[in-house]
Amino acid sequence: MQSYRLQGARLEMSTSCVLQKLSGAMFIVYLLIVGVSSFTIQPEEHTVPAGNCRFRGKYFKTNIGIEGEPVVLQCPQMRYWLGASARPHVSLTWRKNDSAGMVPGGEETGVWVQDDAIWIVPAWQGHSGTYICTVRNASYCDEMSIELRVFEKTEASVPFTLYPQSLTLSTAGTLVCPELGQFTHNKTDMKIQWYKDSVLLDQDNKKFLSVKGTTRLLINNVSVEDAGYYSCVTTFAHKGTRYNITRNIKLHTKIKEEETVPVIISPHQTILASLGSRLTIPCKVFLGTGTDSATLLWWKANNTDIKSTYHERRVTEGQRLEYSENNENYIEIPLIFNPVIREDLNTDFTCVVRNTLGIQMLHTTVKEATTFSWGIALAPISLVLLLLGGIWMHRRYKHRTGKAYGLTVLKTGHQDFESYPRKIKEIK
Amino acid sequence: MGACRCPTSHLISLLLFLFPSETACRPSVKRPCKVQAFRIWDVNQKTFYLRNNQLVAGYLQGPNTKLEEKIDVLPVESHAVFLGIHGGKLCLSCVKAGDKIRLQLEAVDITDLSKTQEQGKRFTFIRSDSGPTTSFESAACPGWFLCTQLEADRPVSLTNKPGEAIIVTKFYFQQD
Repeated sequence: MQSYRLQGARLEMSTSCVLQKLSGAMFIVYLLIVGVSSFTIQPEEHTVPAGNCRFRGKYFKTNIGIEGEPVVLQCPQMRYWLGASARPHVSLTWRKNDSAGMVPGGEETGVWVQDDAIWIVPAWQGHSGTYICTVRNASYCDEMSIELRVFEKTEASVPFTLYPQSLTLSTAGTLVCPELGQFTHNKTDMKIQWYKDSVLLDQDNKKFLSVKGTTRLLINNVSVEDAGYYSCVTTFAHKGTRYNITRNIKLHTKIKEEETVPVIISPHQTILASLGSRLTIPCKVFLGTGTDSATLLWWKANNTDIKSTYHERRVTEGQRLEYSENNENYIEIPLIFNPVIREDLNTDFTCVVRNTLGIQMLHTTVKEATTFSWGIALAPISLVLLLLGGIWMHRRYKHRTGKAYGLTVLKTGHQDFESYPRKIKEIK
Repeated sequence: MGACRCPTSHLISLLLFLFPSETACRPSVKRPCKVQAFRIWDVNQKTFYLRNNQLVAGYLQGPNTKLEEKIDVLPVESHAVFLGIHGGKLCLSCVKAGDKIRLQLEAVDITDLSKTQEQGKRFTFIRSDSGPTTSFESAACPGWFLCTQLEADRPVSLTNKPGEAIIVTKFYFQQD
């Protein structure tokens, strides 16, 4: 309905545009094609439910079946929204989108309704399609559709049926044969056979252990070679015929990423640099035996990202380095100034390291190296000045004492000079 | 190996103790803290997905595998994390209502959470590793652990009985 209205709107638009330019008209033709194709692609979304029944939409999980094997479709709103307690108070009906009638009842057709689910035993590609479950009572009605895709049992269809599962290398773990609940319910004699790459796994194998009475396969000491394609098969009997139920699994093996608390070991709190020169401050983090991929390391300037602070890229973060020294892991990221300017002296640069086990920040500031060399330059000058001052002081002092001595000499001289004639007189 | 690593970890703990301000996360600052995406699956191989705005754990097959929810992790401090989904726009929290405790998905940005505020505490989970698996205990609800049911397609919740046979509290938790 919505698409139809949308198409109408586009038609109106096209008539007005055609009057303008040919190129504009071409664009509208394209829009029309897109509109029509979208109208044809999604038919089931716009199914108008019969009567006053509320249509909840399509259930988001697609059901996958394999040809020749049983398939069970659960009524989604019963199972997940209303719950089993609603069961005695409502009636439940199923229909398939492409057939006018109800889903055929009766076990003889191989398709029947049992409790909240449709059983299809066995399923064929013709069973693929959209099924609609209607739940109603006197005052309530709601519908939901669910999609079933039945695949041929071929190599090509395997990717559509795969359940990905993952285990950690060098540890023990289990694979699970999934979604067998409806077939194994109330069964104590459940038998599951496990295959790897279509080869039946030997039960006496120490590597693999199919845990009896469960859906689990225990794998000891998982290695890279254990990754790959597995399938588990159980059987279901109906009217004297046994049907296989196969689940295909792709096992991924992952290295155990050991995390440790990261510790920043450099830089120092102050870094000396001369204005106008290039500067690199490496931030080095010790991880011990931890692996580095899950540890984030970055620089900040005044609590802001380097990239957003320095759009002109005068200051940048360099390449992240990951390395080992004596079997201990380190990561390092340099902060590169090209060049250092006065503004950097007033900026708080912080190196931040973070993983799920810990966080650490280290603040560092850039100090102008020239202020220190000025000090060095001033030291001899001040020493010379001090020396000169000393000499001057010395000379000044010396000069004063010299004057005083002269005076006394002069005095005594004068005395001598006075007494001298007396002596002469006495001689005379 | 173990004997060698122990003093190292003690030394690291000591360093972190001595410099607590250096280890503190400040998600409240303007620049958002870096959020890491992790894959989570329980020891029974169930992955997380959303159904009707509720986080559930189940088996996803073929085209359904794209429904898997990755967990966005923001470390708060040593071993403490905020957990979210959808790019950290929905966060997991422990909420007490009367004498009931339940796991909730709240529409808050993971980078706006602060561990210092009391409201931030309900979003905090203490992670503990044991062998290849990890458990998450709620900081606001001590003794309550993130769990899945043995049965598939059941809601992810919290339990105070982690040993029960029908409950799974051990998860594989790896960076995506």
